[in-house]
Amino acid sequence: MLDIALVSLIQDMSEKAGVEGTIQYWIRVGENLAKRMGKEAYMGWPSFNVALREGRTAFSIEGNVAALTDLAITDVDGDVVGYIYALEKCVFEPTILRVRYSVGQLPRADKQIADEYNITYRNIAVCNFCIIHVKFREEVAKNITIAGQPLEALHLANRGFTGDTKIDEENLNKIGINKEYVRSLLRNYACVFALVMKGARLKGEVNEE
Amino acid sequence: MIQRKIEEKEDLLDNPMVDIATYLFLEDIADKQGAAGMNNYLMSLAYSLARSMPEEEYTDWDSFVEAIVKGESILSAFEKVNAVSKYCMVTVESPFLRGWKEYTKRIGEFPKIHKDVAEYYNSRTTPTAIETGDIIIQTYRKAAAEKITVEGKKVNVAHIATVSPDGSKKIAPEEWLPILLEKANITRTQMNMILRNNAGVWIVYPTQ
Repeated sequence: MLDIALVSLIQDMSEKAGVEGTIQYWIRVGENLAKRMGKEAYMGWPSFNVALREGRTAFSIEGNVAALTDLAITDVDGDVVGYIYALEKCVFEPTILRVRYSVGQLPRADKQIADEYNITYRNIAVCNFCIIHVKFREEVAKNITIAGQPLEALHLANRGFTGDTKIDEENLNKIGINKEYVRSLLRNYACVFALVMKGARLKGEVNEE
Repeated sequence: MIQRKIEEKEDLLDNPMVDIATYLFLEDIADKQGAAGMNNYLMSLAYSLARSMPEEEYTDWDSFVEAIVKGESILSAFEKVNAVSKYCMVTVESPFLRGWKEYTKRIGEFPKIHKDVAEYYNSRTTPTAIETGDIIIQTYRKAAAEKITVEGKKVNVAHIATVSPDGSKKIAPEEWLPILLEKANITRTQMNMILRNNAGVWIVYPTQ
């Protein structure tokens, strides 16, 4: 029931604190959740990817995350500095279905909050829950080190419950991945993101300079 | 309704991230507005939830109880309920148990505010809450009952006792208990027997 209560709270909250106020609350929840999960350290990418597959990292709270190890991200020197990851099922999907079966439909606030976030912050949210999700991943990445280097999360694409998609072309350019290729990944996954070594000299970023 | 569908379909189980995020969301509200502010939000969201549910009418009491037990009434949309007498209902498992387990597994011990807010609620509304979730479900049950008519009469809900996932119990005050138990048609010993392996006892009865 907790998740359905949350949906109800979002509607209530956006009426009392406004849509922008709710976004602020959500961003703080993403930060707090990551902070409360603690820090992690791995020897190298293989050990991190195994931990992810076995559900031992903070990212595992989201559900099944696939490490697309055929999609290694390299820096300007050709060294592997990250990988692309994909979440199999949107974390909010069961809640959407449960609301559908118990209440009827999602409150208006869900879309209003996502739309406002897309205008004010970053055009990547397909539902209100993406806000916490995006912030959570960014903060969790900072708490994980691989070979002593902290990570950085780059959001690439999301697919909503009704099939709508959002793709962050700026981040795609940074890691040099084709937009259509990421779109094709969304057929099988709910959202796609990259984890890279923080401060890595990515090809896209160097080209921009 | 939802209970049956959840049992049938694993896909409908809520995601741990959403459950934990909800608790953190509430803690964030409590940080800014204290137990009183958090209590207002909890009650308000339960009222909103009940408002968004459809109205129900039943021609007789037996079919109403049958709908509750089958999970077809809005009173059992979020929890599995058994009837032990005409008016006495038993919640088998807390609807917040999954979220509670995920939080304690992935985050750690619940902060004290979840119990403080329940104390605030107990002192002002109904004294049978142990933690945050109880405020939501108890307020929801009362508000949802107002949308139900049986044999042309409105129904009321009153709470007798609650058991937390950690085993702690909260029973209605001594001055109320005999009246509630009489309405429930169970003895104090039977109530204690029920509380051993269930999450709550409450009554639903027609208005006079």
